[in-house]
Amino acid sequence: MHRACTGETRASGARGAGERKCCAVCVDNEKSHVSSGGLKTSAEKDDSPGAQNLRTIIHETDTSLDLVKKSLCVLVQHGTCVFSSGRKGPGSPTEYQTCSNWILRILRYPRYIYAAKTLYGDTGELIIEELLQRGHMTLSSTVKTVADRLTQNMEEGHSMDYGEVSNTFSKLVETHFLQRCPPPPRAGTKDSSTPATPATPATPATPASTAVPTPESFPDCYKIPHVTLAGRGKRQLSAEDGEDQRNAKKPKLDSQTHGDEGIYWQVNFERFHLHFRDQAIVTAVANKLDQTSSEIVRTMLRMSEVTTSPTAACTKPLSANEIFRSLPGSYNISRPILDQYLTLLVDDPMEFVGKAGESGGGMYVVNLHKALANLARATIESVVQERFGSRSARIFRLLLRKRHLEQKQVEDFAMVPAKEAKDMLYTLLSQNLVQLQEVPKTPDYAPSRTFYLYTVNQLPTARMLLQNCYKTVANLIERRLFETKESKRLLEKSQRIEAILASLQAGGAEPEQLTEVEEMITTTEKQQLEALRLHINKLDSAENQVDETIFLLESYVISTATSTS
Amino acid sequence: MTLHSNTQGGSTQLNCALKQTEGSGSRPCSIQLLIRFDPVRSGVMAGRGRGRRAMTFSVDAVGISRGESLPPSMQQPTPVFPVMEHKPLPLAVGEEAEYLLALKQEFRGAMKSLPCFIQPAAARRDVERYSDKYHSSELTDSLVEWTPDWRRVPRELRVHVRKAHRDGVSVSVSDRVQSGQKKKLMKEKEVLLKLETLEKKEEQASSEDEGEEKKKKKEEEEEEPEEEEYDEEEFEEETDYIMSYFDNGEEFGGDSEDNMDEAVY
Repeated sequence: MHRACTGETRASGARGAGERKCCAVCVDNEKSHVSSGGLKTSAEKDDSPGAQNLRTIIHETDTSLDLVKKSLCVLVQHGTCVFSSGRKGPGSPTEYQTCSNWILRILRYPRYIYAAKTLYGDTGELIIEELLQRGHMTLSSTVKTVADRLTQNMEEGHSMDYGEVSNTFSKLVETHFLQRCPPPPRAGTKDSSTPATPATPATPATPASTAVPTPESFPDCYKIPHVTLAGRGKRQLSAEDGEDQRNAKKPKLDSQTHGDEGIYWQVNFERFHLHFRDQAIVTAVANKLDQTSSEIVRTMLRMSEVTTSPTAACTKPLSANEIFRSLPGSYNISRPILDQYLTLLVDDPMEFVGKAGESGGGMYVVNLHKALANLARATIESVVQERFGSRSARIFRLLLRKRHLEQKQVEDFAMVPAKEAKDMLYTLLSQNLVQLQEVPKTPDYAPSRTFYLYTVNQLPTARMLLQNCYKTVANLIERRLFETKESKRLLEKSQRIEAILASLQAGGAEPEQLTEVEEMITTTEKQQLEALRLHINKLDSAENQVDETIFLLESYVISTATSTS
Repeated sequence: MTLHSNTQGGSTQLNCALKQTEGSGSRPCSIQLLIRFDPVRSGVMAGRGRGRRAMTFSVDAVGISRGESLPPSMQQPTPVFPVMEHKPLPLAVGEEAEYLLALKQEFRGAMKSLPCFIQPAAARRDVERYSDKYHSSELTDSLVEWTPDWRRVPRELRVHVRKAHRDGVSVSVSDRVQSGQKKKLMKEKEVLLKLETLEKKEEQASSEDEGEEKKKKKEEEEEEPEEEEYDEEEFEEETDYIMSYFDNGEEFGGDSEDNMDEAVY
């Protein structure tokens, strides 16, 4: 069902090592090399849970004070680093801590942008892209930037109205895809006896608190401020030379304020994750059953978007009547047929939909956690299948269903010859996908008098595969950086040639000059460049797809954590 | 057949590597058998002392029958890139995958051009050149362009930007001694305009009041664009040459395609 990346994975070390490496490389890539240095220090400390103060960071990373400050600012701006007042009391220095979750989400940015595009069109796409690029922004600056960008792409004479962009922004906030940034904690500047300001009722005033308030603990989280914003997007004149470029990058010092200073918005990643989870469930149903069933499930999920909490195991029960009324108009199925579909969904062994009662024509729920568990199981099974072959996969699935089996039983149930079954089991065992459980007959665990049962535990296996995925992504990024570095000279040359060509064409040169410039790159170099481009595209694409697997496995692991806690 | 077992003093793992003795027929088999068992009890220890030939666990339970040859032992570490028997599936292709790819690459490119992307200091060239000190100020323009909202950031991270500074990197406000020294350095080189702004910054540094600082910083930022136009070519670093004098020909070819090479008679 889902493609599992079967790239080379080395034996995993300590728990989280893959994640840490992945974090460091991601930030290195996107933010800066300096930031990644500071990040590594603040993330890799083993004794404390990762919180460091400024002096320690400077000492560990050996970079200058100013660069460290600058990079910490950047990290805080993007939300990857949080600061809190020191643990030792109000006088101690502020401590900085990174959230590795946020960093790993960098991998998923294209997916967020694409989701916004499918839901809210180009405007939504650009809003999310701008917010992701800058961490957090005010409503007014977002609207202006997006309107300008949209105007760039429109034809001459048309421009984008601020009002339209604001509308889309409000819609995004209504559906909770965007949220306000929580106000920063007062980091040791005021003494702890000052009462919290009225705007932040949940801010802990004492430095001893450890919990960072979530954005949703503030009541104004999804309230749009009253903003006076009227106008249209401005079209940027194409930059004539480097000087204009530099000026354009400067922040426009607008003398007008719009009434929403200090109110910053950020992307609500959790909401996007819920959206992706729903998408995954709907696709799974479509693959397993048919399009109509998937539409029914999609309707049910859409109806429960606002009523279900993010950590709920099932949606709220919906009656068949409600579902019938909310089905999209294009699906003209009659009521009895809908009932049949629902019965089919309930009876399906994947248990996506469950029946919760009989009132209202039958009350149905979508089993979210079960669906996630099934999707994770399918992922793991496909990993085994692609790495070890279909017979090993059969043994694996058998063990998943039957829990504990002896060697002999495995051979019998799987209908695989003894020798091969043994081989396969040992291979799976050496890769830690299958475990051996002892059941002694006598208290002295004598080997001749003990049962040795093979077993598979889904959750630890999922965790292990998740760590492997992180390592895979780290490897992919490293390889891409290596390839880019190898061909740096070539890339620079081609960029220069392109710049020359562009300026020539803008200046209106003759075709002979253009061909002359183009010939400055030899054909072998062109081939090399083409091969390089292909490799990098492949590596990037692979990153995206491994990230899909990461998302599934992560959601599954998190869902089990919440349901057991 | 011999069985080697090593127990780690009471610990829970017993690794048995089943080896094949020399001389017995070898069957090509490329996997090494690793069997892990949970707590080892006296049975195994006794077996080790007593008889080397007997297997210490019931062979049937694990599934190896007697007379069967075991795979050859490993002579060297596993290769770094072993040959894969099962090749991975091809990557998904399609409109969505391509669009996601394009988004990713555009995002990366956009991030690199944003002011928040901190470039590491450019690598030193092979030989230090005289023009370096006039070039370095150009690169650092991006550093001054972006400032976060200082209210959201702890106070110790606040830096004040001094554009006229030699290094181009912002100087911490809290370090008054340093700023004093550097101020003397700058005074020698600056035009009157810069002296005035510097005095304002001095006042800023002395007053700890946040509100004033922010206001003056805003003024300072507003002045900067005007300053820059004025200073651009000639007054930067007080040389007598325009900045393009220090170009070392690396950017040649970018804009001189219009027959300037031919001598004009």
